Amino acid sequence: MSADPLHALASAGKGESTRGLLRVIILALIAGASIASRLFSVIRFESIIHEFDPWFNFRATKYLVANGFYNFWDWFDDRTWHPLGRVTGGTLYPGLMVTSGAIYHALRTLTIPVDIRNICVLLAPAFSGLTAIAAYLLTNEMTPSSSAGLLAALFMGIAPGYISRSVAGSYDNEAIAIFLLVFTFYLWIKALKQGSMLWGALCALFYGYMVASWGGYAFITCLLPLHSFVLICMGRYSTRLYVAYTTWYALGTLASMQIPFVGFLPVKTSEHMPALGIFGFLQLLAFLDYVRSAIPSRQFQTFLWLFAGGTFGIGLLGLVIATSAGVIAPWSGRFYSLWDTGYAKIHIPIIASVSEHQPTAWPAFFFDLNMLIWLFPVGVYLCFQQLADEHVFIVVYALFGSYFAGVMVRLMLTLTPVVCVAAAIAVSTLLDTYLSTKSPKPEESQAAEAAEGKKGKSGLKSTSKPVVGIYSIWGRSMMVSALAVYLLLFVLHCTWVTSNAYSSPSVVLASRLPDGSQHIIDDYREAYQWLRQNTREDAKIMSWWDYGYQIGGMADRPTLVDNNTWNNTHIATVGKAMSSSEEVSYPIMRQHEVDYVLVVFGGLLGYSGDDINKFLWMVRIAEGIWPDEVSERSFFTPRGEYRVDGEATETMKNSLMYKMSYYNYNTLFPPGKAVDRVRGVHLPDVGPTLSTMEEAFTSENWIIRIYKVKDLDNLGRDHMSAAAFDRGQKKKKATKKRGPRLLRVE
Amino acid sequence: MRLLAILDDVADKENYSKFLGDLESRGFQISFENPKSESLALFHLGERSYDHVILFPTKAKGLGPNLTPNILVDFMNANGNILVTLSSGVAVPSSLVSLLSELDIQLPTDRTGLVVDHFNFDAASAADKHDVLVLAPPSPIRPDVKDFFGAGADKNEALAFPRGVGAALGASELLTPILRAPRTAYSYNPKEQTEVADDLFAAGEQLALVSAFQARNSARLTLVGSAEMLQDKWFDAEVSQADGKKAAKTFNREFAKRVSGWTFNEIGVVRVNWIEHHLDEAGATNESNPTIYRIKNDVKYTISLSEYAWTTWTPFTTPATDALQLEFSMLSPFHRLALKPDNNSNNNGASDAAVYSTTFKLPDQHGIFNFKINHKRPFLSNVEEKNTVSVRHMAHDEWPRSFVITGAWPWIAGVGVTVAGWVGFCALWMYSAPVGGKGGVKKTQ
Repeated sequence: MSADPLHALASAGKGESTRGLLRVIILALIAGASIASRLFSVIRFESIIHEFDPWFNFRATKYLVANGFYNFWDWFDDRTWHPLGRVTGGTLYPGLMVTSGAIYHALRTLTIPVDIRNICVLLAPAFSGLTAIAAYLLTNEMTPSSSAGLLAALFMGIAPGYISRSVAGSYDNEAIAIFLLVFTFYLWIKALKQGSMLWGALCALFYGYMVASWGGYAFITCLLPLHSFVLICMGRYSTRLYVAYTTWYALGTLASMQIPFVGFLPVKTSEHMPALGIFGFLQLLAFLDYVRSAIPSRQFQTFLWLFAGGTFGIGLLGLVIATSAGVIAPWSGRFYSLWDTGYAKIHIPIIASVSEHQPTAWPAFFFDLNMLIWLFPVGVYLCFQQLADEHVFIVVYALFGSYFAGVMVRLMLTLTPVVCVAAAIAVSTLLDTYLSTKSPKPEESQAAEAAEGKKGKSGLKSTSKPVVGIYSIWGRSMMVSALAVYLLLFVLHCTWVTSNAYSSPSVVLASRLPDGSQHIIDDYREAYQWLRQNTREDAKIMSWWDYGYQIGGMADRPTLVDNNTWNNTHIATVGKAMSSSEEVSYPIMRQHEVDYVLVVFGGLLGYSGDDINKFLWMVRIAEGIWPDEVSERSFFTPRGEYRVDGEATETMKNSLMYKMSYYNYNTLFPPGKAVDRVRGVHLPDVGPTLSTMEEAFTSENWIIRIYKVKDLDNLGRDHMSAAAFDRGQKKKKATKKRGPRLLRVE
Repeated sequence: MRLLAILDDVADKENYSKFLGDLESRGFQISFENPKSESLALFHLGERSYDHVILFPTKAKGLGPNLTPNILVDFMNANGNILVTLSSGVAVPSSLVSLLSELDIQLPTDRTGLVVDHFNFDAASAADKHDVLVLAPPSPIRPDVKDFFGAGADKNEALAFPRGVGAALGASELLTPILRAPRTAYSYNPKEQTEVADDLFAAGEQLALVSAFQARNSARLTLVGSAEMLQDKWFDAEVSQADGKKAAKTFNREFAKRVSGWTFNEIGVVRVNWIEHHLDEAGATNESNPTIYRIKNDVKYTISLSEYAWTTWTPFTTPATDALQLEFSMLSPFHRLALKPDNNSNNNGASDAAVYSTTFKLPDQHGIFNFKINHKRPFLSNVEEKNTVSVRHMAHDEWPRSFVITGAWPWIAGVGVTVAGWVGFCALWMYSAPVGGKGGVKKTQ
């Protein structure tokens, strides 16, 4: 390239309109990049819904598209939680499904027939593009430098912390919720800055959309009042704040109450009380403000004290009474577990059993955010330096978000936006400083120094500001190139993480063959397909709740429990059936009309996420409801080990889960060589026997095993003796010298 | 109806000619087989070759490879019926012993036993041995059980039970004694206890002489303790009671007919013709058998039942002391209602069916419920019907509107007052003139 076009290009970039155009193009490219980097999973595997929850969302979306909105709204789902059923329409966040349904219908009206599955698969990447733009807008409110916005958009687009929940196929609430979160924050800042009712109303609108989409809306519900409270405490109460907050709160709360699942929670539960409290507090402040302008300051002092004391007393009294009377629900268990990470493990095993509810490990921060994590404090520091209202927001958000991200792995997601914004501010400040071609002329600086000197005549010499800075091209280019290398490394890291860690559908497992080629392990779909094709339409499948959504979505069969863990007792019932002996489990399964039982067994393949490894959670959850009948202790050997080999406890060996996992397993191996590759132990030579159920299906790699529950014996015998009879064992004469015979009384 | 009779010697069938002739006249095609016969097979290509089997006493120790207990159990599982007859003179084949013990029927040890009664014996034929029991025709074991076997018997008629084996029934709910021994009867081993019968197998009413077993799939097995009572000579014989009462005609022929008829599904078979349930509310479409209802709906459930009596289907009626019950259940019953005969219901003019129905309000609990009929009575084939329906919650537009609820009026009034007040305030604000020049600096928001 010759120098002339370059020059022309450089000069072209100076015009305001050209810059605007460039910005739009860059933003479009960033959005494109963020979509593209989320498509690994589609390319590696196929266009498939991932993991667990997305399968429910997908199923719900199909229902919405097939039956229309009102049927969806009133949907009573009789194919989950058998036989309780689930009022699904009233217990979900409909935002995601309605969004995809709207896109689907919009495309159809445009005569573009797209399969609803493809819309669902690609929704998360599409919204990640919007998130990048929202991050740009939010950052632009923080700093005049537009490069910060673009950097924030870029970071947001490819940060693994966000990608983890938004790859193609990850059709979960978070897919759209993060966009709504960032955009709501942008609108809040806008409303606060301008004191505008319009922006406040827009903020409330998007807040309503957020409430409709994700349970994490409580994060906004708590963060905005906290921001306002901090502002008030800093003495920054203003009518702008009053207008923005009251508009948002009144409209937003009304909007949120339209969602059936939320209903009256905003006025009933403790999580929503801060927002209500600040709303009331702002009214008082506005009133005081008015009174101060109306009466002399001396009287105002007394008035203020009386008023403040009285209000505080009445408020506290009201809160105590309302809480003790049960009008306001006390803090929920999930909330406590946010403060005390050990709380859930002791009191609510069902929450603790979910891996994404575990406290975050340190490496996860570096893994998910890479260099942003050390740029993040810099950005927060820069915000401190300016500390306008909006910068206070970033500071508050940073503190709040970091805490919660440390408590729960899942909440890394809510931290990511603020990290991206703060890091972008930091990087852009650095770049702006070092890329600026201006260097102060010596005489100018001297003049400036002289001016300084005049002003601060009496000051110490050291307080006078000398002209410092790096003006040499060499130093600047060092700095800039180092930063550029970091940025490139960041892109590399993000791509690597996305491709390796976050793009597996987990429904399909991939492994490498010795020659390096990819081998797909498709046991899940194989088993679900088997269920779909070989069982009755209404055959009830019992499995641990992890697989409930997948069975409902892929096998289309009713399940007893699923990932919507709304009924702990029902889950504990399944846990009890799994962890008890056949004699105890069989009546439970009969009562719940179970036809098939599905277990996941990784022993052959070395797949560690199997049911035997989850088994202790089942035991714990069951023990929580039936402490007399199920005891975790009895699954451990006297030395306190959890074993599955010959040394396993009798309770363990007799439990249904153990029997179903290892039934016939030793026939795969030569005698005495049966080995469990997950636990790495040798199994006893004689495998368990099952009499109340029979093996119906075992997948190729033995990951999924399905058992059919036998009907009651036709001749009225118990299953043990019926099975013994079938094996040809003669019944022992019961009457022979075994005490008096039981007489018939009728 | 294909009936297989297992006999040691086909010539033996002459002894049972009347019994078998009765069966044939009722339409059974009887094939005779020796248990040792190679061609004997209860199943052909996985299907039953015979509908019913009758086993006469055989001398064989076992019954051979074609009649193992497992095959007999499979036969019952495939809805085949078996009539087993025993005789004290012949040791019970081990195959039968183990089959019966699976059904919770205990036979005397060493496969031999004899029931005697020193008070109720036939003075004519067993004056010394007391091993021909003379019994009154059986009466129902419970008042709510239909009398299938002794109904209509003449007072003068008596049942002869010659040289039979008694069985002890376990607690299985599928077992019912048809004929029980009198209180004074007992069972002993005539081979071992020739001198003193001190170790009795069982005595009195615990000793079942004729007993019935009905499996869950309504396959039936009847155990007749004395094959001899089915023989021609006892059909026409006259017996005289021990206490010197006058001679009585035997009831055996009619009893044999009823016992075989019951075993081979000629009586006591209940059929469900149809089941219908629908919304029972004014203005509803009353579609038949919907899959989903709403909580607190009024629902009507109707069932049509017939009972087979020898040759025809007749309306099924329950004894006055019993009731046909409907359960509406999810995990446990929410309703358990007695069904009432419904004469108004459109029965399509059928005179062979009885229609029962009930109406009720669904519980205030959504879920997947079953209309469940679980009618299991002795001697009647099992009626177990389950119709699954979902009961959904109230849809968003099915609640009463706010203005219908009187309690909501203060709130509605509150809304109205607020709106009116705000509009009024705005009007006041807009039309009131500014106070003056100083008013101009008044804060506006």
